[in-house]
Amino acid sequence: MAIESQYYLLLSAAIFCIGVYGILTRQNALLFLMSVELMLNAANINLVAFSFYHGNLTGQVFSLFTMALAAAEVAVGIGIVLVLYRNFEDIDVTKAATMRW
Amino acid sequence: MTSRPRLATDVNYVNGLAALALFVVMAYVFMTSDVSAPAGFADGSIVASIGYAMFDMLDQGAIEAEGFLVAFIVIALVLDAALDGAVMLARREDDEQSVTALADGGFLSRTKETSSERRSDGDSLLGRNDGEDAGSSDDGGDD
Amino acid sequence: MAGAFDFVPAIAALPLLAFVIALFAGQYMPKRGAEAGIAATAGSLILSIWTALTVAGMTGSETFYNENLYTWVAGVADSAVTLRLGVLVDPLTALMLVIVSLIALLVHVFSLGYMNDEGETGLPRYYAGLGLFTASMLAFVFSNNILMAFMFFELVGLCSYLLIGFWFREDGPPSAAKKAFLVTRFGDYFFLIGVVGIFATFGTGLFAPVEAASGTMESFPHMAEMAIEESETFFGYGAQTWMTILGLLVLGGVVGKSAQFPLHTWLPDAMEGPTPVSALIHAATMVAAGVYLVARMYGFYALSPQALAVIALIGGFTALFAATMGVVKQELKQVLAYSTISQYGYMMLALGAGGYVAAVFHLTTHAIFKALLFLGAGSVIIAMHHNENMWDMGGLKDKMPVTYWTFLSGSLALAGIVPFAGFWSKDEVLFEALIHGVGTEGTLGAMFLLAYAMGLLAVFFTGFYTFRMVYLTFHGNARTDVARDPEPVRWNVKAPLAVLGIGAATVGLVNMAPVEKLTGLHIDFLHQWLDGPEEGGWPDALSTDLHHYEELLHNVPHVDPAYPIGGEQTTLIVSAALSLGLALGGVLLARSLYGVDEPVEHTDKLGGAKALLTHNYYQDESQVWLAQGVTVPLARAADKFDQGVVDGVVNGVSSVSLFTGSRFRRIQSGVVSNYAALMTLSLVLLLVAFVVLGGVA
Repeated sequence: MAIESQYYLLLSAAIFCIGVYGILTRQNALLFLMSVELMLNAANINLVAFSFYHGNLTGQVFSLFTMALAAAEVAVGIGIVLVLYRNFEDIDVTKAATMRW
Repeated sequence: MTSRPRLATDVNYVNGLAALALFVVMAYVFMTSDVSAPAGFADGSIVASIGYAMFDMLDQGAIEAEGFLVAFIVIALVLDAALDGAVMLARREDDEQSVTALADGGFLSRTKETSSERRSDGDSLLGRNDGEDAGSSDDGGDD
Repeated sequence: MAGAFDFVPAIAALPLLAFVIALFAGQYMPKRGAEAGIAATAGSLILSIWTALTVAGMTGSETFYNENLYTWVAGVADSAVTLRLGVLVDPLTALMLVIVSLIALLVHVFSLGYMNDEGETGLPRYYAGLGLFTASMLAFVFSNNILMAFMFFELVGLCSYLLIGFWFREDGPPSAAKKAFLVTRFGDYFFLIGVVGIFATFGTGLFAPVEAASGTMESFPHMAEMAIEESETFFGYGAQTWMTILGLLVLGGVVGKSAQFPLHTWLPDAMEGPTPVSALIHAATMVAAGVYLVARMYGFYALSPQALAVIALIGGFTALFAATMGVVKQELKQVLAYSTISQYGYMMLALGAGGYVAAVFHLTTHAIFKALLFLGAGSVIIAMHHNENMWDMGGLKDKMPVTYWTFLSGSLALAGIVPFAGFWSKDEVLFEALIHGVGTEGTLGAMFLLAYAMGLLAVFFTGFYTFRMVYLTFHGNARTDVARDPEPVRWNVKAPLAVLGIGAATVGLVNMAPVEKLTGLHIDFLHQWLDGPEEGGWPDALSTDLHHYEELLHNVPHVDPAYPIGGEQTTLIVSAALSLGLALGGVLLARSLYGVDEPVEHTDKLGGAKALLTHNYYQDESQVWLAQGVTVPLARAADKFDQGVVDGVVNGVSSVSLFTGSRFRRIQSGVVSNYAALMTLSLVLLLVAFVVLGGVA
């Protein structure tokens, strides 16, 4: 007997909220990236779970693509972090506030 | 850079409450929703079916799926673009000399002697890294 | 073939050219620009006479002219208004052109004596001003639409400002010039609204219909007539009421320019200007412009009984009012100034009471004898070394005979003593007012009779102040050393005086209506001139003829003549005798009081009225009070309202949004975590809302 879909969703929500928590509480840009990774993978869990739920592999294929996109995102994100560090000599996101009013 | 892990003390716990609230709401919704039993996959190799789906060879896969060839190609291009973007962002501008994100271990001070030398050094350093990164990811992606 | 009408624009263009020449080259000329002015006005006079002869039919069959010459704003849409400059020549225009250019020429010649020989400085400016003044007035006279007339009307006002303030280094003239400009401008303000109203109502400002290639362009008096016949409504008013409103608005400009009560106060002050300028202003150009405008668009005024009543009452009242003030004045030119106001009052009275010919006739004779009197006064002023007080003169009769006899001729004309010009015209004015007052029923007739009574009473005062002036100036014993040995004047002063002196004695002969009525001889030339041929000709084409006006007066406001005393002839004789008797009474009273060797002031006998009269009924004071006591607080209150309420609301709105903006921008902290927290909270709220509401569906 397979696990009920609610629990997949609950797991996904938990991981997603951990990612959100990280973004909300931390100030380190690298931790931001990690948190975003967590949120993306929470979405992957949902994709896989619903793939199984519908008996269709599309969700699983899509989760693979999501991972690939996550890799791309991390590549750009790391580049941004690098620039952030160059410009502010720090990777604290609260300090990069020169674009505000 | 920290040399050893420390407990983060600059955490904004108040904002974290928002994440907690989000979880509570989502958990409530999920647990109270009425979801029927999953359909499950047909018999056969899931991994093989995924591979066939990616290359639009749907008739050979055991499990139902859709064709993703175009998406596959697009993702490959996006990855490439992301790498180029990352390199562009990471490349030091010519007249920038004060700090570098790389822990160069004194490499910077040595390259400060003449501007032309430093530039060539920096270029060669980044160029070498670029070449390695791009080569490896291209290899992995296209296979 | 180039006829006289092709040269009509040149009548105004020549003095304009003189203006330019005098302005830029005047200082290199021996007479400082006077040559250009004299040549130009002489040219204008010749062209005007040629035009008049053409209108009289002596050079061909073309006896009128009305063309649009230049379009300066072309209306694009069908209903858009097209603004044009054009020329209208009919007998009224031709007559006025001759008068204006004749007076202008004589004034230019006289200026040689008054300005050049006296060694004045700034003469190029003076002659340039005269040239522009003449040009503006001439162009005003032949304007064929009301907007063009308005433009030149304004130019005339500007020139009067420039010339009255000619001696701008003294205290009085700049102030007087400013006053003249502002007071007439106040009237012109209404005129402007009236012009806009006429254009808005009729879409055209033509005085008379123009035959164009695309068909006949109707004139606005004619369209107004049609509108009244068909009982149309404009802007919620009936046609008749609306025409009255428009007519009275335009009349505002007339009252300002023609110095009618209550906007006459500028004119006595305008005496600060050089005397030839006063002659020009009073006789031919500026002040005449107002009356001429009413005559020009008489077909419009004839449609409105209310407007006619207002014109007649203003005219009659002004005639009497100004005459009483003229009685106590001590300066020669001041007396003449008030007499001008009074005489233009007569013209307005005639126009209001349906005496179109009488008004034009009086305009003509007045132009002659008032120019004469002013130039005569100028001659006296030269002789008296610019002392204008009559009490310092006396006994000049023997010293300057030419001036005396011509001045006497003008005075007799002004007082209305037979057979001088003023008698014929003033008598006709009063006669017309009387018969129309009796013949017209209702309030309008009563108004005419009231105006007539005031005009009749004014005759007495006119005779009195005129001969008080003559006796004080020329008769008796010389009261000062200067008067005992006056400075001689030259030919350039005497020649214009002689021309005008003969004119003042004889110009009345052009329209001896009483003699015509009594004897049956057809010698009312001016009447025939303005009446036009029986059939065809310009009356049919332009509808600016007397016959048409009389029809209008009969049909619309029901102004009709009636003869209260016996028949027409008896009434005529009684009326003439009455006005002549009153005039003679005034003259004789003046003679008994001032026609002695050593006259003394009798003004104290007037008691309290003396102060009232010498202060011009305190009108300057009351107008200043109006400005300072009423208008300034009103403007201040409006300013307060503007600053406080209007600006307050605007500033309040801006400060509220500024404040809320400064508060709201705090959420834009620039910290990613805060944005993310907001987004998360929003998402939570959204989800909670969905849960509570039970989903989207």
